[in-house]
Amino acid sequence: MKVIFKIWRQENTNTKGNFQSYEVDELTEDMSFLEALDHLNEVLVTKNEKTIAYEYDCREGICGQCGVFINGRAHGPHDNMTTCQLHMRSFRDGETIVVEPWRASAFPIVKDLVVDRSSFDNIIEQGAYISAKTGTAPEANSILVRKEIVDKAMDAAACIGCGACVATCKNSSAALFTSAKINHLNSLPQGKQEASKRVLEMTKQMELEGFGSCTFTGACEVECPEGISIINIAEMNARRTKAKWIG
Amino acid sequence: MYFRKSIIAITGLFLCLFLIVHLSANSILVLPQEVARGLYNSYSTTLRESPFIKIVAYILYLSIVLHVIYALVVTVNNRKAKRKGYAVNRFRENSSWTSQNMGLLGITVLLFIVVHLANFWARIKLGLGEGVGLDSEGHVDVYKVTYSLFQNSYYVLFYSLLMIPLGLHLYHGLKSAFMTLGFYHKKGLRILAKVSLIYAGIMALGFGIIPIIVFFK
Amino acid sequence: MLQSKIPEGPLENKWRNYQLKSQLINPANKKKLNVIVVGSGLAGAGAAATLAELGYDVKCFCYQDSARRAHSVAAQGGINAAKNYQHDGDSVWRMFYDTLKGGDFRSREANVYRLAELSAPLIDHYVQQGVPFAREYGGVLVNRSFGGVQVQRTFYARGQTGQQLLLAAYSQLYKMKRAKKVELFPRHEMLDLVVINGKVKGIIVRDLVTGQLKRFAADAVVLATGGYSRVFRLSTLAIGCNGSAIWKAHKRGAFFAAPSFTQIHPTALPQTSDAQSKLTLMSESLRNDGRIWVPKKKGDSRKANDIPEEERDYYLERRYPSFGNLAPRDIASRAAKECIDAGYGVGRLKNAVYLDFKHAIENFGIETIKDRYGNLFKMYKKITGVDAYREPMQISPAAHFSMGGLWVDYELMTTIPGLYAIGECNFSDHGANRLGANSLLQASIDGYFVLPNTINNYLADALREDPVSTEHLEFEKAENEVAEHINKLMLVKGNKTVDHFHRELGKVMWQECAMSRNKEGLVKAISQIQKIKEAFWKEVNITGGYHEMNTELEKALRLADFIELGLLMCTDALEREESCGAHFREEYQTNEGEALRNDEGYSYVSAWEYDQGKFKLHKEALEFENVQPTVRSYK
Repeated sequence: MKVIFKIWRQENTNTKGNFQSYEVDELTEDMSFLEALDHLNEVLVTKNEKTIAYEYDCREGICGQCGVFINGRAHGPHDNMTTCQLHMRSFRDGETIVVEPWRASAFPIVKDLVVDRSSFDNIIEQGAYISAKTGTAPEANSILVRKEIVDKAMDAAACIGCGACVATCKNSSAALFTSAKINHLNSLPQGKQEASKRVLEMTKQMELEGFGSCTFTGACEVECPEGISIINIAEMNARRTKAKWIG
Repeated sequence: MYFRKSIIAITGLFLCLFLIVHLSANSILVLPQEVARGLYNSYSTTLRESPFIKIVAYILYLSIVLHVIYALVVTVNNRKAKRKGYAVNRFRENSSWTSQNMGLLGITVLLFIVVHLANFWARIKLGLGEGVGLDSEGHVDVYKVTYSLFQNSYYVLFYSLLMIPLGLHLYHGLKSAFMTLGFYHKKGLRILAKVSLIYAGIMALGFGIIPIIVFFK
Repeated sequence: MLQSKIPEGPLENKWRNYQLKSQLINPANKKKLNVIVVGSGLAGAGAAATLAELGYDVKCFCYQDSARRAHSVAAQGGINAAKNYQHDGDSVWRMFYDTLKGGDFRSREANVYRLAELSAPLIDHYVQQGVPFAREYGGVLVNRSFGGVQVQRTFYARGQTGQQLLLAAYSQLYKMKRAKKVELFPRHEMLDLVVINGKVKGIIVRDLVTGQLKRFAADAVVLATGGYSRVFRLSTLAIGCNGSAIWKAHKRGAFFAAPSFTQIHPTALPQTSDAQSKLTLMSESLRNDGRIWVPKKKGDSRKANDIPEEERDYYLERRYPSFGNLAPRDIASRAAKECIDAGYGVGRLKNAVYLDFKHAIENFGIETIKDRYGNLFKMYKKITGVDAYREPMQISPAAHFSMGGLWVDYELMTTIPGLYAIGECNFSDHGANRLGANSLLQASIDGYFVLPNTINNYLADALREDPVSTEHLEFEKAENEVAEHINKLMLVKGNKTVDHFHRELGKVMWQECAMSRNKEGLVKAISQIQKIKEAFWKEVNITGGYHEMNTELEKALRLADFIELGLLMCTDALEREESCGAHFREEYQTNEGEALRNDEGYSYVSAWEYDQGKFKLHKEALEFENVQPTVRSYK
C-alpha cells in the first residue's frame, strides 16, 4: 500500500518547525505504524537525506516511550492504544497521514517528533515513592491489603507515562498522570504514612511544571493506553482537599 | 490552580441553585394573565424588600463576577500550557463538543446575562431607561416589563435560543464541578451524569419555553 | 586464573560468611566515593537507589528519555520467591535445585543458592515499596505456578509484574535524586570504559540530544545494561536494547562468559515482513490450554479451520507425550523450528505454527477462556487484527533472554577490578537456560541485595587511592578513540542503511546460532559475519550530523558492536561440543533427538578474553558439591 505522511520536522527546541510531506510506497497492512516510519527513514537514508526523529523502545505498548499525534488523535485513530500497537491496516491506501509531536508547553520539542517529558519525572520526584530504605522491610504478609483495594491501586498503577493524556488535553493537564500515581500509593496501607505530604507536593509540582488544569473533557481516559479512569482525578482532588484542610 | 478551580466550581454550583429558584419564579408567568400579574409582582416585591434576599443577591453578583474572572484566569493559564495546538485535531472522537468549548459557551451565557440585566435589573433596580409603573396593588409592575419584552419576537428568539448554550454549559459544568470538588464515588458519578442531564434539560427547556408561551398569550 | 571468590563453609552459610568477613566503610567516607551505574532497569535502578541510601555518591545513566522505560518494564509473568506461602513444600533448597537443574547444571551452586535465599526478603522489600501484587480476599499475597515447576512460588501484579517492580525501583531512584544522592543522566549512552592502571576509573558517554561526548570519573562502575538478544535483530527485546556497554568493557579487558547461551521463547508472534522490527511475546501461560499443531501436508495453503482434525499434527503431544504442549521453552522452540524448516510452517511467510484454543473452548466454554486469557486475546487482536476465539493463533519462536554476559565472580565483579556487572548483562545464575519468572528476580537481587553488600569490599581500598580526574590522559585517550570511531563511521558514506546490515546479521545469527547449531553452520556463520563487518564499514550510510540527535548514528554504533559480539557468540557455540539447555548442537543428540550433555568435557563456564580481534578461552570449572547433575527428560 501507499500513503502520504505529512510529518512535523523541527531541527531542535529553539528552531521553528514545519510540515513536510513524504510519499511512501511498498508498505503492507501488517506493518506497524512505526515500521512504516522506519521504512520511510531507510528511504531517506538512501536518498542521503536526514532521517526523521521519533521515539519508541519496547514496541509492545508498555514502556511508554512512543507517542505521536496521528491524524488528530493521540496514538492514532483507536482508543486506548499506544502508537507502537497501531498497524497500517488502520489506514486506507493512498491516505494522507498527518503526524505531529505531542503539543504541551511542559513537553518542549527536542527534535522532529521527539519531546522532552522530564516534567513527568519531576512530578514523580516530589513524593511518588514510599520512604523506606532497602533492607528495612517487614515480612510481606504482615501487611494485609484487601483485594478490592489492591485491584483499584493496580488500575491506577498501570500508567505507562507516555503523556498521551497531556497531549490530547486541550489544557495540557497532567492531572490523570499525577492522580494515577497518587491514588496508587495513597490507597495502599504502605503509602498512608506520607499520604498528605505526597498529594500536596506532587500536585504543587504539577502546577510548577506548567501543566494546565483539568476541565474534565474526558479525552485523556479515551486516549490512555491503559484506560485509566478520569475518576482518579476527582479522587485526587478529594485527597488534596483532605490533605490541605484536615491533614 | 486548585483554589481557582474550586472557586469556579463553588460559584457555579451556587448559580445552579439560584437558577432553580429563578425558574420556579418564572413559571408563574405561564399562568393566566390576571393571576400571573398579581402573583409575579407581589413575589418580586417580597424578594426586593427582604434583607435576607438582599444578602443573597450580593452573593449572587459576587458569584457571577468571581465565576467569570476565575474562569478567565484559568483559561489564560490553560492556553499558556498549550501554546501551540495541532494542525489536525479530531477531539470529537474522544470527548464531547460541549466539554471542549465551555469557555465559548460561558461567554455566550455571559452575553445573555448582560442583555438580560439590561432588560430587567437596570430598569427596575437602577431606574435606567423607560420608567416602570405600579400595578393595581401598588407593586412595581415587573410583570408588565416582562410581558411587553416578550411581545418582541426578536427578544423571544434571543431568550429562547440562548438557553441552548446555557443548557450545555450547565450539563458539563454541574458534573465537572462535583468532580473538581472531589466527588469520586463511581456509582454516584453515573447518577450525577444523569442528574446533570435532567437538570440542564429542565433549565434550558423551562427558561427557553416561557418567553414563547408569554409571546403567544 | 579465574577467581570466583566463593566463600567458605556449607552452601547455606556462604553468603552470611561472606558478609561477616567483608570490609566496611564508615558513613563519612562513603560520601567521598563515587559510583557510576549504567542502566536504569531493575538491577541498575535498584543498585543506584540502594547505594545512594548507603551514602555513596551515585550517577546513573540510561539511553532512554526516562529511567522508567528500561526493558524490565516489559516482563509479564511474575517473580519467583521461596516463601512457601502455599504450604506446598517449597523451600530455598528446592528453588535452588529447580534453578540449577533448569539451567542444565551450567551455573555456580553458590550463586544460585544465594539467589534462592534472598528471594523471600525481596518480596518483603517490594511489598513495602508499594508494589500492588495480587492478593487473596483475605488480604494475603497470591501465588501462581510457572514454567513447569511443581510448586506455586510466583508473585505477580496482573500481566504487568515487570512494570510494577520497575516503577517501584524507579521511584526509589527519584527519592534519592531528590535527596541529592543520585544524579540522573537520561538520554546518555555509554560508549567506552576508562581503565587506568588496571582499575576502572570512569566512562565516556554520548549525550544523545546534543551529540556531545562527556567524561565521567568514578571509584567503581556498575554495568546494568540488560540483554543483547537484539543481535538477532528480531527479538522480544526493546529496539534500543544493546550490547555496546558490555562489549566495550569486554574489549577493555572484561571476560565474556557463555556468550552463546540465548533463550529462544516459543510463543512470540511471527515475523510478517522484512520490515518488521520486533517480535511481541505472548505469555507462556497460553500453552496451558492451547494446543500446538501444524498441517500434516507440506505447504498446505488451506485456512486453519478448513483443515480436518486427522490432517493436523499435534507435534509436541506426539513427541513428548508426558509434557505435551507444556514442554520447556528450549524444547518447544526447537520443535517448532524443525516443523517450519521442514516446510510445514503456516501463515503468509510460512514461518509460524498454530496455537489452537478450539478444544479448550469446546471443553470449558468461551467464558472460561476469556476469563483466563482475555487480555492476551485482546492484545493478539490489536496486533494481528485476528480474533483468536474463532481461528487459531499463529506463533513462532523468538530470541528472548541472554543467559550469557560478562563473567563475574561471587561479588559480581568482572575481571577488571572495580567494574561490576549486574542483572541480565552478567553471566551468573541461569546457566544454560533460564526458568520463567527468574529474570526479574535475579536483576533485583543483584541490584538491591548483592552488589550493595559486595562493592564495599572493593571501595574500602579505593578510599586509600587518590581520586582520578577526567583530565587524566587515559580519559582523553578514550574520548579521542570514541570520537575517531564515530567519525570513521560517519565518513563511510556508503549506500546502504544500518538496518540493512542488521537484518543481514540477524538472518545469519538466527539461522546458525539460535535454536540448533552445528559445526559447519557456525564456521560458515563466522565467515559470513566477517563479510558483513567488512561490508558494513565500507557501505553503510549515516545521514545527519554527529553533534545532534541522530538515531541512525546511535543504531550504527550499536550494530558495529553487535557484529563483533555475533562473532564471539558463534565462536563460543562452536567451541562447546555438547548440547545443554538452550545450546543445542545437532552433532550431540540422542537417537530420539534429545540434547546430549557432556559433563566430563564441558562442565565449565567459558570465559572469553578479547585479544586484538581474537578471542581467548578461559575455563572456570564448575564444581557440584551439593547436587548431582542429572539428565533432563521430558518424554
